[in-house]
Amino acid sequence: MDVTVEVVGEERHEVSVGSEGTYADLLAAVDLSPHEVSVLVDGRPVPEDQRVETDHVKVLRLIKGGSASSPDGSESR
Amino acid sequence: MECDKCDRDAVMHAGYSGAHLCEDHFCASVDKRVRRRIREDSMLPADATPEDPETWVIGLSGGKDSVVLTHILDETFGRDPRIEMIALTIHEGIEGYRDKSVDACVELAEKLEMRHELVTYEDELGVKMDDVAEKDPMDMAPCAYCGVFRRDLLENFADEFGADKLLTGHNLDDEAETALMNFLEGDVKQVAKHFDASIGGFDDRNEQDDFIPRAKPLRDVPEKEVALYAHLKDLPAHITECPHASEAFRGEIQQLMLKLEENHPGTRHSIMAGYEELAQLAAERYRGDKDGDGEGVDLNECERCGSTTARDVCRKCRLIEAIEAV
Repeated sequence: MDVTVEVVGEERHEVSVGSEGTYADLLAAVDLSPHEVSVLVDGRPVPEDQRVETDHVKVLRLIKGGSASSPDGSESR
Repeated sequence: MECDKCDRDAVMHAGYSGAHLCEDHFCASVDKRVRRRIREDSMLPADATPEDPETWVIGLSGGKDSVVLTHILDETFGRDPRIEMIALTIHEGIEGYRDKSVDACVELAEKLEMRHELVTYEDELGVKMDDVAEKDPMDMAPCAYCGVFRRDLLENFADEFGADKLLTGHNLDDEAETALMNFLEGDVKQVAKHFDASIGGFDDRNEQDDFIPRAKPLRDVPEKEVALYAHLKDLPAHITECPHASEAFRGEIQQLMLKLEENHPGTRHSIMAGYEELAQLAAERYRGDKDGDGEGVDLNECERCGSTTARDVCRKCRLIEAIEAV
């Protein structure tokens, strides 16, 4: 099955997954971790271990990448 | 896929627990973890009364973490006369980036009818981070200056507002990253400080008269879940990376940790469980021995600004001096 993976604010990817493929497999194909994004189907978040049942997903980046925007800075030196 | 607790569609899967939860049960589980942490760490002392309430200053940056923290604290304690809450926002002077997140803070505070205070690097210190990043007299990452300034202002203003505690929105990922960094840097003294400064339960910490105690009620909740909560509750959170962000080591640790979490779900939780126990042992060992050489360090007031420091002039004042010299 061919799925359009739209990373919001970034690029779109066309990804093929098998019939048993999960949303986590889609993320792995575009090199994202399920711990840094949410997958939205028709605007609703879905569990990443669920089987893909759509041909278009939006991927919302949820966490900062490699910065320390923590509210009081880092507590390590 | 159904929620484990009802027949609605699940919105998330937590690999570390195996849970699939719908929107309502997911949000309830976040609320529950935050309230449990507040209770287990004894954040609300038994002697707080409506006549003599406890004052919490919340560091509200406008990012998802502090917005979720403020929302949950308001839902939990907003009507509790034993607690007064003040949201404190710091504008670092980063054009575009911080302006938008300050808007998010103002919107949230108005909605919650919470007292909100805004202080700026420019008014308080006479510098803007955009200029500091450009001048960079010490040849450091911008975050290194910014962290010193932010801690100084948070501490001083929390003190001015009569805070009993300063609460920040650090999540599980933040804390596990810091734990790994301290460990990989071999800095046991820093681990000890971390315990007494912010992660120990209030019954277990050493009294630190010189600093306002910190608390991190979100530290059991993974970063992704904090963000998902903000998204589902439609909270006014600002999600953009700071344009000056440059903490390379933390970024490397973050990537390593996400990989470990994917291959071994629960890694972040187990890092923190072990680290907290070790940090307590380290804290007990190093108390009253702040240099690790048998000699305690006397803290006094910075001769320029009055902030607490182990030297004559504090780090913030030395950095400001270097910036002004450029």
